[in-house]
Amino acid sequence: MEIFLLKGIDNPDSATLEAYRAIGGYEGLHRALDMQPQDIIDEVRKSGLRGRGGAGFPTGMKWAFASADPKFPKYLLCNADEGEPGTFKDRVILEKKPHLLIEGMVISAYALKAEEGYIYLRGEYSFLKDTLERAIEEAYREGYLGNNILGKGISFNLHVHLGAGAYICGEETALIESLEGKRGQPRIKPPFPVNVGAFSMPTVVNNVETLSNIPYIISIGAEAYSRIGSKECPGPKLFSVSGHVRRPGVYELPMGTTLREIIYDHCGGIRDGRNLKAVIPGGISTPVLPPHKIDVPMDFVNICRFGSMLGSGGVIVFDETSCLVRVCYRASKFFEHESCGKCTPCREGTGWLSSILGRIEKGQGRKGDIDLLLDVTGNMSGKTFCPLGDGAAMVVQGFIKHFRDEFEEHIIDKRCRFG
Amino acid sequence: MIKITINGREISLEKPVTVLEAAKAAGIKIPTLCHYPGLENYGGCRLCLVEVERMPKLQTSCTLMVTDGMVIRTESEEIARARRAMLEFLLINHPLECPYCDKAGECDLQDLTVQYGPPVGRFAEGKRKHPESFEDPLIVRNMERCILCTRCIRMCDGIQGASAITVTGRGNKSFVEPFSGGRYNCEYCGNCLTVCPVGAIMSRLHRHVYRAWQVEEKIKTLCPYCGVGCSMMLQVRADTILRTIPEPDLGINKGILCARGRFGYGYVHSPERLRRPMIRRTDRLEEVSWDEAIGYVSDRLRDIKARYGGEAIAGIASPRCTNEDNYLFQKLLRAGLNTNNIDSTVRNSIAVIQRYMEDVMGQGVTANIMAGILNSEAIITIGGDPAHINPVFGVKIREAFKKGVKVITVGYAPGLQRFSSYRINPYPFTEGMLLGVIISELIKKKGLSGENPSFEERIRSYNYPDRNGLSEICGLSFGDIEMVLQELSRLQSISIVIGPDIVTRTDMRSIIFLITALSYILNARVFILSDRPNEQGIIDMGCLPDMLPGERPVEIESFRHKFETLWSSSIPEKPGMTILEMVEAANSGKLKALYVMGENPVFNLPDGQFVRDALKKLDLLIVQDIFMNETAEIAHVVLPSLTWSEKEGTFTNLERRIQRSRKAITGQGMEDWKIISEIGKRLGLRMDYNSPSDIMNEISRVSPLYAGLTYDDLETEYNLWPYKGEPLRHKLGSGDWPLTDLWKPQRKDALYLMIERHMFLSGTLSRHSTALNSIYERPVARISPAVADRRGIKNGDLIRVKTDRAGVTLAVSIDKNVPDNAVLLSNNFVDSCALSMVPFRMDEETKVFSLNGIEVIIEKVGV
Repeated sequence: MEIFLLKGIDNPDSATLEAYRAIGGYEGLHRALDMQPQDIIDEVRKSGLRGRGGAGFPTGMKWAFASADPKFPKYLLCNADEGEPGTFKDRVILEKKPHLLIEGMVISAYALKAEEGYIYLRGEYSFLKDTLERAIEEAYREGYLGNNILGKGISFNLHVHLGAGAYICGEETALIESLEGKRGQPRIKPPFPVNVGAFSMPTVVNNVETLSNIPYIISIGAEAYSRIGSKECPGPKLFSVSGHVRRPGVYELPMGTTLREIIYDHCGGIRDGRNLKAVIPGGISTPVLPPHKIDVPMDFVNICRFGSMLGSGGVIVFDETSCLVRVCYRASKFFEHESCGKCTPCREGTGWLSSILGRIEKGQGRKGDIDLLLDVTGNMSGKTFCPLGDGAAMVVQGFIKHFRDEFEEHIIDKRCRFG
Repeated sequence: MIKITINGREISLEKPVTVLEAAKAAGIKIPTLCHYPGLENYGGCRLCLVEVERMPKLQTSCTLMVTDGMVIRTESEEIARARRAMLEFLLINHPLECPYCDKAGECDLQDLTVQYGPPVGRFAEGKRKHPESFEDPLIVRNMERCILCTRCIRMCDGIQGASAITVTGRGNKSFVEPFSGGRYNCEYCGNCLTVCPVGAIMSRLHRHVYRAWQVEEKIKTLCPYCGVGCSMMLQVRADTILRTIPEPDLGINKGILCARGRFGYGYVHSPERLRRPMIRRTDRLEEVSWDEAIGYVSDRLRDIKARYGGEAIAGIASPRCTNEDNYLFQKLLRAGLNTNNIDSTVRNSIAVIQRYMEDVMGQGVTANIMAGILNSEAIITIGGDPAHINPVFGVKIREAFKKGVKVITVGYAPGLQRFSSYRINPYPFTEGMLLGVIISELIKKKGLSGENPSFEERIRSYNYPDRNGLSEICGLSFGDIEMVLQELSRLQSISIVIGPDIVTRTDMRSIIFLITALSYILNARVFILSDRPNEQGIIDMGCLPDMLPGERPVEIESFRHKFETLWSSSIPEKPGMTILEMVEAANSGKLKALYVMGENPVFNLPDGQFVRDALKKLDLLIVQDIFMNETAEIAHVVLPSLTWSEKEGTFTNLERRIQRSRKAITGQGMEDWKIISEIGKRLGLRMDYNSPSDIMNEISRVSPLYAGLTYDDLETEYNLWPYKGEPLRHKLGSGDWPLTDLWKPQRKDALYLMIERHMFLSGTLSRHSTALNSIYERPVARISPAVADRRGIKNGDLIRVKTDRAGVTLAVSIDKNVPDNAVLLSNNFVDSCALSMVPFRMDEETKVFSLNGIEVIIEKVGV
């Protein structure tokens, strides 16, 4: 497969406009501005592109909703709040190819008739703010941004907004609240952001990687794009692989590549010749998979049959020396820390889970703890305000489902075999 | 029409509502916690989950809108399990200290747990710990108990508009805190207390004093503080007010109160209350029996009347007393003592301006329903801050602003600072010039309607100031008002909210003419702010030297005759003295006896020293009050009366709505109406009333405006003007009082005294409320940042403020809302009475005192 998203990142100056143009950057924009906005939306719809942030919502459909809303101004927001543990794919684009994102945003804004855009950058990525702003400045200078883009009388102004370190702000409505200067907490839906979003106006929130796919679709056409990877959700996908593999990193592979291929073909297999014990396929909030399930094709549709989710494509690999009770505890600590506190089951449930898991991990587990964990997660599932709480419950359920023995061993032996 | 099915029952709905509302309408109860009527929906507690067909998960009924054909179940095993689970989650961190939590017995969480909760909790880990905060004098926060429903925040933000509190922290370490940290820097409306479902935020005033089930009585009554007339429930035990609470469906305030209403009731139980009547013997007031006191008063009044005639006797009525009290008071003076010398301090606020406006635009022109202000397209406020003078009405104006109504404030209006589209802040007391320019422009843009030709003639012939005067005199540029002019000429539905501070000016006649002209040109809905509960009632009851009850002029024989027949007594034809004339007459020796009911002229009139000296010359000064005050101290007789909570009666609010105030506890004085009727009886008047309702029956017989009105009617729509009777029909007048030149600052760099009206204080009752004094502890001098800069003064510095009459040393508070060239002083504290620094002056025509143009000198004396 031809590399698109990561093309040219080995060039130390890849973030510059010059380097970007040298690999064909902004050609998509020229082409897009010769199209009608509606045609771009149709093209994106035909391409089959689905949102790369985790939920996999069809991008073209989201755009069509926002476009159909008669209210103006409309806003385009880039969700660069890449907070999912195990995920660092957007970072590569932001750091190495900011112009790819900018080009994607300008095309999208043109299609949506949005004249104002924000890149909501996670607080922990503050070191990327300068890079982004420098690129934006270059784009303004060259007429890719501003009030008369490429002399065509089209306006799009782009700003970088820095988050303050809350995982929940990756949820699009919480992101909007935070952007508006409020406490980052999800909003009641409906209305959806496509109708009532930032500053109460129609708003499209797309992930960095999603927006970076747009120039590609425009360049090669929806038809060619839709032939890449899985039929159900085509296109290139960035996988950020971490953990006990020989070559961790970000890989651009076609949608539907199997976990086995990712781990063994691309990442060189498990380090130090050890065996695979477990793998989290799509960031910490997706259920863990045992080794016998790694033939799963990594796309939004097929992975569900294997009892997990594609999420952000953050693959975390554990070898046989890992204590999965500890992993589960650490994950639940994360959710406790990041729960925004708005709804009861998530605010209280995440804390309860991590207390119990913490005890088990320390060898203070009690008989009945595992059933209690399952019951508490059951009481959270499907009842929380947003998917954060569902994720927290699902993760614990996943670990217990596949590795219950290990939990029981901790409770009975009152110690962890891995120390 | 939307058809839905809830629990098998088909329901039709006119418009889309939430599933929760639909269920409620169908009489189906769904348990809730974070939901509260009137607050924005939140969906946080997850207690109201229901099953909806074709939806995979349980849905929160408070956030889900019904759609046609929706099939909903509110009871099932799954729902019951979910409710149990949510309550179990909530109790994880909620301390199980119900035995010593004041909320027990009226705690939503407790009640819900009993009904829907698990029999036993399974949480065996450590609970969250957070120290209870006692940093605030009035509100105690226990954040361990908080369940983060955010009702308090949505109330503070969404309804009150104070935006003083927020959630700090995240997840299970979230706590509700004021932005100011430990102590609240807020409006102390206490509306957060009403909505808290648990014991997380509570009033310190009744901490550990009682439990909900120990409340003996809950009495529906009114707030005694201002002219809005909020309804409240008084919770009582052992003749003690435990607390005041508003109820969501009750009265015009619909579930909210302000600081005064919420926390200001403590004066009722003050140890300083007068309990026994007193008569001055040699140089001391000595306690006597009621019989002796009443006998003494009536004997002395009879003597003075016999010796000097009725014109040597006068009475000052009280806007803090009920209609019944005030009606009887003027009846005693007119029928019993043969004098029209009756007036009140209401002269200096709404009485004069209302009279003028009614003359030009018709009786009842100010009788507008407060909620109706929401229908305006623009609201102009002038002469005082509605959010401070009438806080709950101020909240309505904030609501209007949030709805998109253009709010234009003229002058000092800090309470609307964040709720106004245009803020015009001219130099102090120069609003006349501003109004003149606005009107002359509006006449050009809008023209006149032709409704009142004689008044229009006056509008046309007025010599309007040149617009260039704006910068020189008001410190404004034409650009500052250009947008406002455009809005005013464009918009159709405009409300004008007039504060009392516009009246007390040397150029008041011109200013009132201009405001009336503006209202006339804009065809505006008029509201006159009223900072005491019964200012309108004073007018309606005839506590005016020239008006009988029902606003019937005493000079007109037919009206007088009717009252004479009904009262079996003659009434003098000549109008009596106004309040300031009474003081002057006391000073000159013409007035011999003054009967003061519920008023404190030494404190509430300018130049207290002069007033005090004048009143000391009287042969008889009767003060009927609930507290010893500056006037009572020099009285010959002091009669202890009762507070609003200790007697029955009615108040008429600023929209002219008559409402019942009810007795909740027994006090040690005597009802004002009863004292008056006892005196009246001894003076030979027929005053054998058993209750205030008897008095209202008499009022409805004598006043054409109240014809046939009874206490029972007050619970119906007849409680709003024009009641059941007839308004006075008369030809529209031309408002032809002589106009004066508009006041201008004499010197450019002079500083002028302004009197502050604060939302926490009322000057009279609040002085005896420890709670209100704890949130406004000391008087301060407020100045603008520019003045502070010029004088090198910092926040908190001590300054000496002097007029040519008196001086006071105060701490400075720098306030960007204060007009430039003004020093704002409070008249609410015993030792720093700002009015005493003002000379005793009155308008020749209206006999109103004036507060403008008092130059002050300030100097820094310390830090």
